[in-house]
Amino acid sequence: MFDGTMVLLLCALPAAVALLVSLIPGKESGLPRLISLVGMLALLAISAGLFFGFDGAGASGRYDFNFAWIPSLGVNFHLALDGLNVYLVLLTGILFPVVLICAWGSSQSRDKLYLNLLLILQASLLGTFLSQNLMLFFAFWELVLIPMFVLILVYGGEKRREAANTFFLYTLVGSVLLLAAVILLGVESLRQTGAWSFEFSTLYALQLDYGVQLFVFLSVLLACAIKCPLFPFHSWLPLAYGEAPASGTAIMSGALSKMGAFGLLKLAIPLAPAVSVVAAPYVILLAVISILYGAVLALRQEDFKKLIAYSSLSHMGYIVLGIFSFQQASVHGALFQMLSHGAAVVGLFLVLSLLEQRVGASYKTITALSTLAPRLAVTLMLFILTSVALPLTSGFTSEFLILFGGFQQGFGAWQAGLSPLTLVAVVLACSGMVLGAGYMLRFARVILYGKASEDAGMVDLNAREALAFLPLLLLILWVGIYPASIMGKVQGAVDQLQVQVAGSVVLPQAVITNISKNGGGNGH
Amino acid sequence: MATDFLYGLLPEHLLLALILVLMVLEIMKADQGIAGPLFLITLSIGCCVLVAQLTSGYTVTLAPGEVVIDRFAILARLIIIGSGTVLGFFSITGARSFKTWMLLSCSILGGLVIMDSAGFISLFIGIEMLSLPGFALMIHGRGASVACEGAFKYLLMSSVATALMLFGISLVYAQTGTLLISDFAVAASSGGAQNWAAGALVLSGFFIKVALFPFHGWAPDAYDSAKLPVTAFLASVVKAAVVLALVRIVANAPLNAEATLAVSALSVASIFYGNVAGIRQTGFKRLLAYSSIAHAGYMMFALTDSTGGRVEGLLYYVAVYAVTTIIACACFSLLCSDESDPLASLEGAYYTRPVPALILAVAVLSLAGIPPLPGFLAKLVIFKSVIASGHLLPAVLAFTGSYLGVIYYLAIVFRLFKPASVTEPAGAVLPRNWSQSWTWGGVFIGSLALAVFMLFPDLFHRLLAIV
Repeated sequence: MFDGTMVLLLCALPAAVALLVSLIPGKESGLPRLISLVGMLALLAISAGLFFGFDGAGASGRYDFNFAWIPSLGVNFHLALDGLNVYLVLLTGILFPVVLICAWGSSQSRDKLYLNLLLILQASLLGTFLSQNLMLFFAFWELVLIPMFVLILVYGGEKRREAANTFFLYTLVGSVLLLAAVILLGVESLRQTGAWSFEFSTLYALQLDYGVQLFVFLSVLLACAIKCPLFPFHSWLPLAYGEAPASGTAIMSGALSKMGAFGLLKLAIPLAPAVSVVAAPYVILLAVISILYGAVLALRQEDFKKLIAYSSLSHMGYIVLGIFSFQQASVHGALFQMLSHGAAVVGLFLVLSLLEQRVGASYKTITALSTLAPRLAVTLMLFILTSVALPLTSGFTSEFLILFGGFQQGFGAWQAGLSPLTLVAVVLACSGMVLGAGYMLRFARVILYGKASEDAGMVDLNAREALAFLPLLLLILWVGIYPASIMGKVQGAVDQLQVQVAGSVVLPQAVITNISKNGGGNGH
Repeated sequence: MATDFLYGLLPEHLLLALILVLMVLEIMKADQGIAGPLFLITLSIGCCVLVAQLTSGYTVTLAPGEVVIDRFAILARLIIIGSGTVLGFFSITGARSFKTWMLLSCSILGGLVIMDSAGFISLFIGIEMLSLPGFALMIHGRGASVACEGAFKYLLMSSVATALMLFGISLVYAQTGTLLISDFAVAASSGGAQNWAAGALVLSGFFIKVALFPFHGWAPDAYDSAKLPVTAFLASVVKAAVVLALVRIVANAPLNAEATLAVSALSVASIFYGNVAGIRQTGFKRLLAYSSIAHAGYMMFALTDSTGGRVEGLLYYVAVYAVTTIIACACFSLLCSDESDPLASLEGAYYTRPVPALILAVAVLSLAGIPPLPGFLAKLVIFKSVIASGHLLPAVLAFTGSYLGVIYYLAIVFRLFKPASVTEPAGAVLPRNWSQSWTWGGVFIGSLALAVFMLFPDLFHRLLAIV
């Protein structure tokens, strides 16, 4: 019961702090900022405590909070820690205090609206990751949009209105079909069990026919592909990442994009296993296109922010590749990549924001950072190396596992006489790593080395900022050096995913008969 | 029995008394300032009485075949009178004369009478009492010819709707010889050309009243020409009462296949039309009109349900929609004191008046149906029963339509957050106006109600279930 309350607290604490912050009178006081930081740190402590306490499959009922919200519709306020979300909860716990500390010096950090938005974002993100009820999941999934939209709209750059609009409308497109799929699943539950239910445990157990699965899969895929983003649904990304305020970009790339990958793991595969197996090669193809396309675009960028934005597209492709390879190794890799990419990309964006705070818009032309501000340069380099997937950083662990699993899957399919599409795609994905090294090191060379201009002066990383980056770097190194220590926590979830997929591997036969029966439509 | 007549219809009696008192006061040329508070007190007492009836599980048939107090009647009256109260708070700022309050009370009384009725005579009287004061309200105190035009359109279309309804009812009466609402529902679903025509006529009449596409022609002009509180009244209380009147007639009975097809086609068209036409609007009241056309689509969409979730779904939807609309209008009036209502006046409002701006933003996003705001939950309750009835395709189309609606609702939020420096110098804060504190009260109570709706989305399900 105590642990269940802790899980609820993860979601409720930021919301409560947000309420508290908005009740503090006065415009220019630093108190709200302090309270928010304390709240976020407390949340970090809770999430870390839960993370270390969580021991994988055995404790599934322990970290569970369940409260009937709309009993007549089977919508419960059901939050629980499980193998799929345990990494993401830790990541979300770490990111927000880091983001706030990095924004500490800016004027917006005294703004109550800004703090409120951050806290609400955190609460809704954690709610999305933790929810064990599809309708609750959907509500949180959408709720995330509102604070992010306002954050871009109020604190963004020159073209913020356009960026906010694009971001909101794009991501909402996915939700239109998603909501239909969610309700359809509820209807299926009504039909099969006699009662409305949106509990994941109930929905996973339903016997869905192929048409319904197809509809569910496609709508989830669309929503997640936009959120991730995945080629060709990425066109909102450069604008939104470029125009959002630094903290907004960091959160979007670090946490919001993970929602897409998480949605694929949590919804698409377990709810539509048969379709997932059939569609996997094509999704992998899309993922690999994203990897390469993002990398090629990143190679050509002069603007650092855009460069990282496109590299993010590329790295998210790896996650999707890992998820849809279905192998033990690759799913582990994908989960690690969520952590790793989350930490690295947030680090990169925040270092850029610190540079921007120091020198203004001319940060785009900075050179010779290694002599001007050595500590800042080292920090930046560490994040760059993670992005390049240097061994001993988390980037290597995850991308290696993903590609390893991808090869297993592709080779297996090829040997079984199925299409060699997956294998070809995975081979191509490997070249993405080379391209990644190319653009990232070019970025490092340009910004870190070279000739310093005469009048250049730069304040180095101060203790506060250094302290902020510490947890990110620790996380990166820990996953890079000793990943096995935390793999056990997600093992149960990975096994479960494999069982769900394996249960439908024999399906191609059934698929054909089903299609002919339903005439290929979704039968409703 | 006599006590039942007194207690069961107490809210109606109170309103009637209020109208009489207001008349007397008007004759005595009393201070007009007391009319608003009197109105609020009366309606609040009415609310309390209804809550008491609700909690004690009170039901009674007062006049067999004509007046009945059942769970639905109590809940529906609570919605009407509750949103009337919130609206009353909002109206105090603008409304100065006894006449306005009399007309408002009369219209609300009509709404209450509709909900009590089990026969067509009282239903019909109720509908007329509801609509006609609206016409007077629209032109009262407005000299502009535009106002007359809008009001006349409203009056004409309203009469046409009434005529259609009467015709439909009489077709059934010719066959069955009774005016019971329950008999009508049975007859309309039993088939045959005459019954079919009766059903179609009555539905068309209601479609005109709720401004469903393509029966919506009057709404933009009518909404635009009235004062903002009156527009809010038309969009909330009157609309709610008309929809609930339809619910009173059809209840949970499934429509026949043809009617289902027609209704779902019209609803989807209405959602699309309202939301697309809304995008280009520059005035708040016109925007509200198109939004209300789209919302009529969602509400009528619930008629295609055949799983028995219609009544609770529509009760919830209507309640949420009415209260949200009133809040949006009230916040708008706080931000823009201008008589004309350009959306441009909202620009940068967040920087000068953050609280109403934020509430308006939330209300508007709720109307757009963004989760987890009550507007979303209301749509969800409707859509789940529609999809459960097997209409997946229309539902997906309606979702797409509602997505288009997000565009113009979002445009309002945009304007609120537009940098102030561009539009007006900072410090141009509106002088604090004491009469606005009433509006604040309305916004506060309305927000409270919405919060309750959001936390307990199956409120009406539970309340309907308890007998």
